Amino acid sequence: MSLIQVSNLSIYTSQEPRVLVNDVSFEIHEGEAVGLVGESGSGKTLSALSILGLLPRGVEATHGEIRFLGRSLDDLDSESMRKIRGSEIAMIYQDPMTALNPVMKLGDQLMEVIESHPEVGELTIERVKEVLRDVGIPDIERAINSYPHEFSGGMRQRIVIAMALLLSPKLLIADEPTTALDVTIQQQILALVAEERQKRKLSMLWITHDLGVVANLVDRLHVMYAGRIVESGTVKEIFENPQHPYTQGLLSSLPSPRGASRERLSSIPGVPEKPWLVGSSCAFAPRCSFATDKCRQELPGLSGNSAHKVACFYPLGASR
Amino acid sequence: MFLPFRSIEMTLRISAVEKRYEIAALNATVHALNGIDITLEPGKTLGIVGESGCGKSTLARLIVGLESPSTGSVDWNGTKIENLSRNSLNTHQSAIQLVFQDPYSSLNPRQRIGEAIAEVLTVHKLRQGREVEARVDELLSLVGLATDLKSRYPHQLSGGQRQRVSICRALAAEPQLLVLDEPVSALDVSVRAEVMNLLIDLRAKLGLTYIFISHDLAMINYISDYIAVMYLGKIVEYGTWHQVANHPRHPYTEALIRAMPDHTVIGNPESLKKTISGEVPNPINLPSGCAFHLRCPIATPQCKVEVQKLINVDNGHAVACMEVSR
Repeated sequence: MSLIQVSNLSIYTSQEPRVLVNDVSFEIHEGEAVGLVGESGSGKTLSALSILGLLPRGVEATHGEIRFLGRSLDDLDSESMRKIRGSEIAMIYQDPMTALNPVMKLGDQLMEVIESHPEVGELTIERVKEVLRDVGIPDIERAINSYPHEFSGGMRQRIVIAMALLLSPKLLIADEPTTALDVTIQQQILALVAEERQKRKLSMLWITHDLGVVANLVDRLHVMYAGRIVESGTVKEIFENPQHPYTQGLLSSLPSPRGASRERLSSIPGVPEKPWLVGSSCAFAPRCSFATDKCRQELPGLSGNSAHKVACFYPLGASR
Repeated sequence: MFLPFRSIEMTLRISAVEKRYEIAALNATVHALNGIDITLEPGKTLGIVGESGCGKSTLARLIVGLESPSTGSVDWNGTKIENLSRNSLNTHQSAIQLVFQDPYSSLNPRQRIGEAIAEVLTVHKLRQGREVEARVDELLSLVGLATDLKSRYPHQLSGGQRQRVSICRALAAEPQLLVLDEPVSALDVSVRAEVMNLLIDLRAKLGLTYIFISHDLAMINYISDYIAVMYLGKIVEYGTWHQVANHPRHPYTEALIRAMPDHTVIGNPESLKKTISGEVPNPINLPSGCAFHLRCPIATPQCKVEVQKLINVDNGHAVACMEVSR
């Protein structure tokens, strides 16, 4: 059953109407991990924030619907939405300090989360300690009496994960939580998340610009470009059989960390287009070596089967 | 026109360099570099890889003469950089140029692109009068930028264009050695390859020598002839890119390679198993013996006591680990 269903979501700036996210639809099934991949400005973070009703001021979701366990989140008042945040859907950010109060001791902060959600039942400091232990914080007694600045970046990210898991949410949204970390620490955090996800049967939406990070972490992927999803599918399909020239271009522009061969990387010419400048054509056409007049005049819709969908008139690997 | 800028052979020799920073308020010392030896061959690229706090950026600042070593020496064509007079330091700094990670912070936001490049030409007295503008045009096209970008400001350019401008500015000084400190890390994935390929083409065209510093082993592998892996202010492994990337010997290098997200391996949950536990220790209190022993999967009691030196294990491939080098 689908846990969350985003249908035809469009997000605009409210002053002069500029589209930032355009007609995005995806769903996450229970226990499933889904990746949202794109470069800066592609709309991946806004799409995720709108699930939590946390769009920044001046930005609005004007079209579409988001359903969580079958009920529409759009109809909820801010109090009901606040209850869902944390206890049903939790989020972790790139910068852990987004979620941590710099002048509050850790134990107090985590207890505050519990106290602000009485609907989840009576939880005590023992629960806080248990979760901190699960995420690998050493010396728990000392940790709960410490301030965020006393921890390293990797430890802070573990703390934020603990905070997110505290109320046993069904869905965890992660917005590039490992991007600012060193690779060995990133690896530790990814291992931790994968383990906790399995243990808690957690559903996950993982937002990243790094295809390498999601290759082994998620079940399905959506690739975003200039505010739209341009390709969707299982991880295996997207990586082994990319059909959108953008996805294919991204994959072949990444060098392998395992050395082996050193063929010249192919690169994508030009820069990502701003979503509001695209109009009704394929946003990738100006950078695409396969583009025709059709691509510059018409918008390709997302089509295909449940394992693989692509928004391209001339998908790669298909007969032309 | 764009033959190698200078015909003299350059040599860079870094010998037993240590760099310490005193923090008076804490009455403590940060041990940023703890004995670095590097000799760089002209025309080659040395990749330096390591995580934050390993000292790679400090090393870059020492090489370009922005800072002096606490002990040891950095020799440039036979002269110690710290002994250079102000005038010769200028010459040195034009011969060795530094390109930073974030072009947004290294370019003056109020200066037009053309002025930013022309400034380098006039400061180093490389062109005068009318020749300046013609040279700016030449340099812009060298890095693949349209000459009409001259009148733009940095904020009007994309990230990739701005990094090209930084590279262009560095080249304007006609350097022999470019020190590139994380030059593509701040760029969007789809433009990284383009900048990497530009650097490779410029190296061939101009006979440049590079020191390429990054935390990203994949980029290091792609561009380097030699690779030095740094951990807590020391080189723990050194060799040709092939030796280090394909036959790593030091347990830290192995862990680093296995920790790199790899898009060529998919649907393999094994790859999510953590490779090493713990974090990089504080450079104020360096661990005894081998600095890596606290995190090392093969550490023995001996590693706690004995400082490890780089030992040749195979044809120039050197490893600072007695467990693998004996």
